[in-house]
Amino acid sequence: MDLSAFEGDNSANCLLDSAVPAICRTEPCTLGIDEAGRGPVLGPMVYGICYCPVARQGDMAELKVADSKTLTEAQREQLFEKLDAAKDFVGWALHILSPNFISTSMQQRAKYNLNALSHDTAIGLIQHALDSGVQVAEVFVDTVGPAEKYQEKLKQRFPELEVTVKPKADSLFPIVSAASICAKVARDRIVKSWKFLEDLEGVETDYGSGYPNDPKTKEWLTQCLDPVFGYPQFVRFSWSTAQIILESKAVPVRWDDTDDDPSQKNVPSLLSYFARKQTPVKRPPHRFFYERKLETVTGL
Amino acid sequence: MGTLIYTSIFFLTLRSTARRGPGRRGRLGATGGTMPSGRQRPGAAAAPAEETGRSQWVVIAPGSVTDLPKKPDSGPLFTQLRNPSTGQAALYLFSSDAHQLFELKAFHEEYRSWFIGQAVQHDGRLFFATPVDPLFLVLFYLNKAEKEQGKFQPLDQILVDEEFSSCVMLLQCRSISQSIHHIADEKEICGKKFYKYSEEKTLKWLKKKVNQTVKVLKEHDVCVGGRVHSATFISGKEVPDATEEDYIRFAHGLLSEYFPEELSTALAKYLCLPPVTPPSSEPASKKRKLSDAPVEAEEDYTKFNSSDLKNKKGSSKMSAAQKALAKVDKSGMKAISSFFSSKTKATK
Repeated sequence: MDLSAFEGDNSANCLLDSAVPAICRTEPCTLGIDEAGRGPVLGPMVYGICYCPVARQGDMAELKVADSKTLTEAQREQLFEKLDAAKDFVGWALHILSPNFISTSMQQRAKYNLNALSHDTAIGLIQHALDSGVQVAEVFVDTVGPAEKYQEKLKQRFPELEVTVKPKADSLFPIVSAASICAKVARDRIVKSWKFLEDLEGVETDYGSGYPNDPKTKEWLTQCLDPVFGYPQFVRFSWSTAQIILESKAVPVRWDDTDDDPSQKNVPSLLSYFARKQTPVKRPPHRFFYERKLETVTGL
Repeated sequence: MGTLIYTSIFFLTLRSTARRGPGRRGRLGATGGTMPSGRQRPGAAAAPAEETGRSQWVVIAPGSVTDLPKKPDSGPLFTQLRNPSTGQAALYLFSSDAHQLFELKAFHEEYRSWFIGQAVQHDGRLFFATPVDPLFLVLFYLNKAEKEQGKFQPLDQILVDEEFSSCVMLLQCRSISQSIHHIADEKEICGKKFYKYSEEKTLKWLKKKVNQTVKVLKEHDVCVGGRVHSATFISGKEVPDATEEDYIRFAHGLLSEYFPEELSTALAKYLCLPPVTPPSSEPASKKRKLSDAPVEAEEDYTKFNSSDLKNKKGSSKMSAAQKALAKVDKSGMKAISSFFSSKTKATK
């Protein structure tokens, strides 16, 4: 797995894939999807797909791929090597969503929540497999959100495919387990060797697991906080863990669309606008200045 | 009023104590400087972030403001003067040689801050120093003196203001001596010049200003129409509703920001601008007037379905063209409705 494409610019998303095995272009294939790094406040979220011909699922099972959560890091690495070695019939593709992308998606004006983001990434990867010439026949997905709704969405998008969305699919279907291993291995490697674009000025880079409940991660988040800029791009700003620390320790920043805008507290009730004005305003500034937001300066 | 190419953007750094003090006068800090051909010098005047108590302002000013002063202790000078429209304090800038006067306007919109070099400036305002005709400021004092004394006086006695002592500096402005005759009558006694406000001359002068402004408004496609819409809204088509009167009224309003309100009213009369009736304070009552006539629906379609419709139709008048058409020989012609009937009875 060559991650250099992502490491070159870890603020943008990145798609990595293996070569498509020739057999996958001719025989109907089964495809599994899973993700790694959904929960942590640090690092990217990685989506992985793995596919192989339906007829050779038995060979896949023989690789003894299992749910990535039940394996140690070393075992996962080993299994990934095996998967990568079986390139005559197994193919994979990964979509790495940078933490920066996750932050900006979730915090943009039109909110793009994590579930929608996950679904769209999964759809993108299926489409990528189809575009690469893989004869996808069936798709197995570990669910994100309600399984029925997700399945409906995928079926609508790919009516010609047989789609199965199931919770815990990563332990039920070997092809999903394989996808989960690819994703997890990629994420582990990225997080381990994260190259900070920011100058952290001597803050240690021992950030623990990256999960919000890890005390090491919490400690690191407090340490690397800049009062003006907040965090390095490695941190998902949209996570409540990060936001709580920002709110209490960083300089307050007000945005155009901040809901709990303190200035709004003094806004008079709507009804007051309909009341008859007691005193007319004394010569308001002329339209020319008012429309251009130009004010007379009284002093510096 | 003309176009000016601004070649100088400078960052002004003042200790914030200067803000709490009288704040009437302040020389441009050493950090101010002309940017070579308007390009930004990296890190110019950047205050270290940890240096608290410093505020920076971003000012756009004509390059001439920061021309090197001839004397070591003079430089561009910020000072408070009386805003001739409101009589309240406003900030002005004298060029190094005090020959030119600039007014300060701030672009101020919510949710804005500056990143200046390595520092953050919470105040996101952008200041513009634009040339202003000092005669407007002199006009304020002339007008006042006319009301209080009503006699010929030398300028240095007219331009006296305890609250804004800098107003004496207006006398140094180059244009004053050349243009004061536009707004005042002049008498020379023993080599000393005495002035008295003249409304007639002033209105004539202001009318010229209005015409100049109208010209600029047209050149710059400023939206002056009656419809109020955002200045940033770019209409795809030409705005057709801007009449000459709209332009004059707009220019009159714009210029009224530079002289007292009573003069603004006088000028409107002088320009023959009909007064705008202010929109009535409350919307028109929606109650209908009651009448004794029986209530009847405004549109009652059942009427036309009644049989007497046919009679009506027969008696209804036809236009000349319709009459001519009715006279045409229609033998052998199919009714137009026949073309729409089903073709089951097609002939062999």
